[in-house]
Amino acid sequence: MGSLSLAEKEAIILAHDTDPQRILNMLIAIQYASEEGYIDEETAKLVAERLHLSQARVYEILSFYAILKTEPQARYVLKICNSTPCLFTRGAMLAEVLETILEVPADQATPDGLFMYHSIPCIGACDQGPVIKIKDTVFGDLTEAKVYQLIDDLRNGCYQEL
Amino acid sequence: MLSGAIGGKKMIQRNQPVLLERTMKMKQATNVEEYQHYQGFAGLLKAIEMDKETILAELDLAHLRGRGGAAFPLGKKWRHLYGAKGDTKYIVCNADEGEPGTFKDKALLEHDPLSVIEGMIIAGFLFSAKAGYIYMRGEYLRIQKIFQEALDNAEKAGFLGENILGIEGFNYKITIISGAGAYVCGENSALLNSIEGKTGRPRVKPPHLADVGLYLKPTLVNNVESFAGIPVILREGGQAYRDLGTEDGGGTKLICLSGHIKNRGLYEVNLGIPLKEILYSEEYGGGSSTGRPLKFIHFGGQSGPIGAVRNLEECIYSYEGLWDHDLAIGSGAIVVMDDQVNIVDYLVSVAAFFAHESCGKCTPCRLGTTRILELLEKFTTRSAAPEDLERLEKMLMHVTNLSACGLGQSVANPMKSGLRYFPEEFEAGIQTAVGSVKGGGW
Repeated sequence: MGSLSLAEKEAIILAHDTDPQRILNMLIAIQYASEEGYIDEETAKLVAERLHLSQARVYEILSFYAILKTEPQARYVLKICNSTPCLFTRGAMLAEVLETILEVPADQATPDGLFMYHSIPCIGACDQGPVIKIKDTVFGDLTEAKVYQLIDDLRNGCYQEL
Repeated sequence: MLSGAIGGKKMIQRNQPVLLERTMKMKQATNVEEYQHYQGFAGLLKAIEMDKETILAELDLAHLRGRGGAAFPLGKKWRHLYGAKGDTKYIVCNADEGEPGTFKDKALLEHDPLSVIEGMIIAGFLFSAKAGYIYMRGEYLRIQKIFQEALDNAEKAGFLGENILGIEGFNYKITIISGAGAYVCGENSALLNSIEGKTGRPRVKPPHLADVGLYLKPTLVNNVESFAGIPVILREGGQAYRDLGTEDGGGTKLICLSGHIKNRGLYEVNLGIPLKEILYSEEYGGGSSTGRPLKFIHFGGQSGPIGAVRNLEECIYSYEGLWDHDLAIGSGAIVVMDDQVNIVDYLVSVAAFFAHESCGKCTPCRLGTTRILELLEKFTTRSAAPEDLERLEKMLMHVTNLSACGLGQSVANPMKSGLRYFPEEFEAGIQTAVGSVKGGGW
């Protein structure tokens, strides 16, 4: 599966001084480093134990904050900004174009497990809309042609680091 | 871009971009030496020589209104905390910038993090705080790393840590707390809950956070841009800062232009500049990007009011200037839409945002935002009944008056202005044809 080893997860927790105040920093770091892009039950239990929190508290946090996921994600999760500054400057086309290219509805992984897309509120790139964000990287000023190009590039492994 | 001289003993100029000028000159934003070369830490060094009462007086004089959106005078807030009982006080910077149409804090955090840090250190000095926190939104992960580097560099140079600047007992550190995609955490009490490792739902207020804040201790919460303004005030003096703006709100303001405007982007303007200049001059907006006339402007974020461009010919971009038009500066977002955009379509998107981001703690907001969305959608499909208009207005009133926190209380702002300035577009959504009943009756 290529998931993080126990030692790697522990290293991330230690890098944040096992500080319960920084639980979100830790969970995001673990999620982004993991192959499947989510926090599984085992990891949640580990974090709860190390921070002396109840498992229920950790699960409450996982379910409350939108960035944190409790289900496996596709290799590349494309986040489309759907707030008004982007949506009304040609942003509305992004979901349609992605559905055409990927042939899956929002929030559903492609059969090869490579792609998934969904809308999220403002990511603070309103002067570059329409935008797609993958992990922490923003692709801005998109046109239909550029979206096709982006998917091709991702398929061809041009953005391995994402 | 504004121009202005930097360095030396020159007085600041009215058109000087005091917040952004360093970002244009520094090669490495986290470098303390370079920061100091461009007058960095000059405000702090002055502050530690000043009497605490004098610092508060300068802040009052500067009349900086909170840049997060609430526009509360910073001087008053700091005085409140100064007078609060208790030895342990916390300093918190709200960097959870999630207000759609806003991307100003991001620029400061990324390109001039030390100015924000300096503002937070001055607060730490004034309130004898031991711990400061900066709560940064989860979408800004990359910037969190830059900011951490700036914190590390500041500590190495002796501006953070133990006995700062050789002052015995001035021990102060700043910790970055990441958000994780919850708009409501921009609400200060929700943000404090989130720092405490809880879910970020707002608290019932009062008590004021300056009395009962983080871990129930007196706490100062200010926005990134507010903190970045503090060193400027102490360096240049309260009056000089106030003169950059107007009598009713001193300083410059970062504005974020987006939507159907030619030069989308971040700008720093003097409060008091004509709105027309922001929209149409080549230096700023440059007019419509679509060739169509501009129709309405959404100010200050999704919870801000909307103005019709036709009414804003003489409008001045300042706190009182916008209040005169029942508008508000808010976060500094200026989202401009052309005449092809139907106001109801626009508001459906705004309502969907709030229905999504309502934290669910209180019923008026949790259900009310969904009801508002459903009602507005009826107008876009021409299936609204004539009485739906009244129902919408009542719903807006209920959500505003009954919600527990600022999120719910301000949801109705854009809808109310939409109804006021473009009633005909709502009326057009009312079903007039005598239609056949589908699927039978009751």
